Amino acid sequence: MNEFVETLLDLPWQTCEPKPAYDVVIIGGGGHGLSTAYYLAARHGITNVCVLDANYIGSGNSGRNTTIIRSNYGIPESVRFYQHSLELYQGLEAETGSWIMHSTKGQIWLAHSVTAARTERTRALMNQACGAHTDYILPDEIKARCPQIDLSGGGRYPVHGASYHHEGATARHDRVVWTYAQGALRNGVHIFQHTPVIGLVKDGDRVTGVHTPNGTISAGIVLSAVGGHVSTVAGWAGVRLPIRTHALQAFVTNAYAQEFAPIVSSNDLVFYVSQTPRGQMLIGAEYDRQASYRTATSYAYLQACSAKATIMFPFLSKLRILRSWAGVCDVSTDFSPIIGHTGVDGFMLSTGWGTWGFKAIPAAGEQLAALIATGTPSPLIAPFGLDRFANELAMADPSSAGTR
Amino acid sequence: MSRVVYDGTPIEYDEGDTLAIAAVRNGQHPARGGTLCLAGDCGNCVAIVDGTPWVRTCQTPARPGSVVRRHPSGAHPSPGGPEQHTAVAVRHRRAHHVVIGNGESGAAAAAAARAQGDTVLMLDAADGNEVVGVFDGPTIIVRTPSGIDQLHAHHITLATGAAEIHPVCPGNMLAGIYTPRAAAAAQAAGVDLGRIAVVGRNLVAIHGEVGVSAIELADGTVIECDTVVADLGSAPRDLLARMAPMVPVSVVGPAAAAHALPPCPQEGVVCPCGKITVEDLDGVWSKGFNELELVKRASLTGVGTCQGGVCMPHLRAFVAERSGSEPQPFTARPAARQLTLGEAAAGYHIDTFRRTPLHAEHVALGATLDKFGGWYRPWHYGDPVAEYWAVREAVSLGDVSTLGKMIVSGPDVVEALERLYPNHVHDIKVGRARYVINLTERGHILDDGMILRDADDRFTLTFTSGGASTAEMWVRDWVETWGLKVHVLDRTVSHGAINVTGPLAGELLRRAGVADEERPKFLQHRRLAVAGVPCHVMRLSFTGEASFELHHQIDRSVELWQALMHLGQPLGVRPHGLQALFGLRCEKGHILVGQDTELDTSPRRVNMDWAVKLDKPAFIGREALVRTARLPDERRLFGFTMEGPAPLEGSVIRPVGGAADDVIGHVTSSWNSPLFGHAVLMGWQKRAPHADVVEIDGREAHVSPVPFYDPEGARARL
Repeated sequence: MNEFVETLLDLPWQTCEPKPAYDVVIIGGGGHGLSTAYYLAARHGITNVCVLDANYIGSGNSGRNTTIIRSNYGIPESVRFYQHSLELYQGLEAETGSWIMHSTKGQIWLAHSVTAARTERTRALMNQACGAHTDYILPDEIKARCPQIDLSGGGRYPVHGASYHHEGATARHDRVVWTYAQGALRNGVHIFQHTPVIGLVKDGDRVTGVHTPNGTISAGIVLSAVGGHVSTVAGWAGVRLPIRTHALQAFVTNAYAQEFAPIVSSNDLVFYVSQTPRGQMLIGAEYDRQASYRTATSYAYLQACSAKATIMFPFLSKLRILRSWAGVCDVSTDFSPIIGHTGVDGFMLSTGWGTWGFKAIPAAGEQLAALIATGTPSPLIAPFGLDRFANELAMADPSSAGTR
Repeated sequence: MSRVVYDGTPIEYDEGDTLAIAAVRNGQHPARGGTLCLAGDCGNCVAIVDGTPWVRTCQTPARPGSVVRRHPSGAHPSPGGPEQHTAVAVRHRRAHHVVIGNGESGAAAAAAARAQGDTVLMLDAADGNEVVGVFDGPTIIVRTPSGIDQLHAHHITLATGAAEIHPVCPGNMLAGIYTPRAAAAAQAAGVDLGRIAVVGRNLVAIHGEVGVSAIELADGTVIECDTVVADLGSAPRDLLARMAPMVPVSVVGPAAAAHALPPCPQEGVVCPCGKITVEDLDGVWSKGFNELELVKRASLTGVGTCQGGVCMPHLRAFVAERSGSEPQPFTARPAARQLTLGEAAAGYHIDTFRRTPLHAEHVALGATLDKFGGWYRPWHYGDPVAEYWAVREAVSLGDVSTLGKMIVSGPDVVEALERLYPNHVHDIKVGRARYVINLTERGHILDDGMILRDADDRFTLTFTSGGASTAEMWVRDWVETWGLKVHVLDRTVSHGAINVTGPLAGELLRRAGVADEERPKFLQHRRLAVAGVPCHVMRLSFTGEASFELHHQIDRSVELWQALMHLGQPLGVRPHGLQALFGLRCEKGHILVGQDTELDTSPRRVNMDWAVKLDKPAFIGREALVRTARLPDERRLFGFTMEGPAPLEGSVIRPVGGAADDVIGHVTSSWNSPLFGHAVLMGWQKRAPHADVVEIDGREAHVSPVPFYDPEGARARL
């Protein structure tokens, strides 16, 4: 048995059918839904919980991302939240006994102009003040950390400097999903795959359950942890969201010898590249301009992304593209997540994860579970409530999304 | 006979050989082992060809001097050092009907289409046309010997046939195992395969060290042989069809036919690309990964070079036996065939950064140019402080050709501008100008600029350099939405602009032929000849000194610039770059949209309520401002002063004596003022009550009213 298979923990599925009622019903069996279920059970003893997924667990964005973990955001509230998430990731293997292939690689965020250098300096200063380990570094250090780079940027994108996020990391996306599924199942949570939610049960203004093709399940609280179609789910509850949904594409190459240590992003060119533990080069860029729910990939994207990546890393031009994919990102108007109460009793949300959802899985689940258990949002997620848009308290951070 | 170099050893090949055939002709496996299909379906013949790893040697013709290296044993190939980029040609082609695969079913489909009068293009990997993917459009990406073809088709027929099923049993990664078609192809090429054993589903095991020495059958028979030909039936070669579920394609022939699954594999390597064994599949299944997608993701079967080409039938058979129902194949992902990043990048052009008509002048003057707002702009000319003093004390030229420039006219133009902008427009007199901001529908600052009235029904608008790219879209979109009669003419790139600024700016204009009485006063504008060049002269001020923006057609830019530099010489003229400009405007407290503002900055946050007239009945953002005006809002931009050196822009602002992580805002603009001898800054306080003294960079900074310089604005009116 290979190491990858041998180290998997069991998924101890429940053997029963869904019960007629649960304390908490979570729509969406991706990382966010499952981590919330896990923390509800493991930290708060709330085990009368079920997670429903329209497909198989991790079939949505949790299995369609670029697996980057970082906290180098531009506003204090985000830096603190993502730093907490980054630290939870660092301890997740010890906490659960499950190997998520966590690897601290460091992230270099390149600046190719004076203005971009200013942005990256600002990022480093804000990170340092709020507990994230980020420095502004100069071309010599960039070259030392990543010898494959062409510092001249093909003559068009010369490197001025970069912010260097020491704790930037990656982990295997599927294994994060399964780790939380395993932990939730072991604690008595029910997870039903291939069980789409097709509507919400309402009692007056209150949401009291969900409709599935197999019948209705009542719930004390319904949490939407869906990715991609959140506007539809929230619409059933009468909640309008400041969300647009865009496809984000990425691709991997075949596997190569481990020679590329860090994660490298470019502020001006807008792409990012890292090497997976399996040796593949993983390359992504900004999301599609056109709003869409489609998960098909386009050749124009492969072209653009390849062109950008090979400008900075000429060695990539001889590497072979293996497979490309797309996920659908729920992007909020301020590029920050929306977590917690919705103004509709019994209905809560975890959305707006845009291009940055994977890195938030532990912290969002932990803090949402605490919110469900206590009724009060912690300082880490209180700034990210839906009511911020009505109250003119947006958490605007467009330059940290890795897209534009 | 020609030769190729295989792992450092020259080997001979015959005309028409692929690299894989050349290898087996010389008694070698092209990779290190595994069943050969020689049809591009598996990944068992991949090697490093002329520096590119993971190349299917069965799809690559042998050429004189080709250098082939096997991937290292038990490790991944190294990408090697930076390679010289070789240009890849890109062709766009159109075809009415494309048939992929020119076997029996493809030929029949093509004949039928031709009978209908269609023109048909046939593609087949055997002819060197490897289809990489089928995308929306529909567009077919084809890798050809001469480059990449983007083929735009009306109809697509997939006649890709069926792939032969590989054996899964102990020993199935040895060298010397062929599918029937591969064996036939090798023999047709004259390759001696030695002693051949042809077997079917009764194959139980293959024995040998590196190459095959014997096979074992279900009844216990052992047959000694050099080559095993495993005849196990076939599976549809439908990767392209599964790749593009929303692109209309017809699938014909064996690619569309129902094929029985092979028996459930018992032992051996299921996925040669990932070296995944039946034991691995059993392992994940027993751990609860109990459907096709979970088995795939947990074992990583089917995500290697062949994208499930070999393992799919076995994987489905495995799941079918354990779950009791036959699963559908999973979605396929591009790229189906060899495609390097260099090939994919071909024909793509990254957005260019624009150059102003004065670019060569700046270079000649020793400017350091940098990218800003989509343009190359002079950052400084070697001495930003001297450039600053030239503005404050004499006269200086700035290239502001990058500003957004637009003419709007027509019977409804006043109505349109009243709705577009939050300030009054109707009362701007002909020949006068007004500073304006524009807002999003959420009431947040989108851009700023000037409105200048040319005639009752004609205005000139300016926008920031960064806002210029979307300004035309913004204006046209709204005007058309409202159905107003307004003519919009964007002149951003057809017109250049030079800012003549400093206390001697008027004198320089006089020397350039503009009489004192002709010179526009502050916030006036006029068409005048300057040094013989027709200009739209706008008197504004961003620097804080008297300033004349000379807008003119770009074919006269160089002439005008050179004349002003020449005429200004006795006055001490020198050009200034963005670095000096940003310092000058910082002293005046003028915001830079996008630097001092954020995505959600309303006018009140930057103390610009004066630029918004809520008594107007309608303008973009009005509803939002009326609603949010009632909300408490603690976020404010402030001016600060502190002892030098100026802190870095982006420095955090803390309460004096506050905790290290107590952040109340950050510095958005910072400048060591040569005039004041201390630093002047702008930055956010996002928490009330707002402090008068804060800590920045470990030092005290004091809130200060803005403008820091010439608050009465007398200098601009000189």
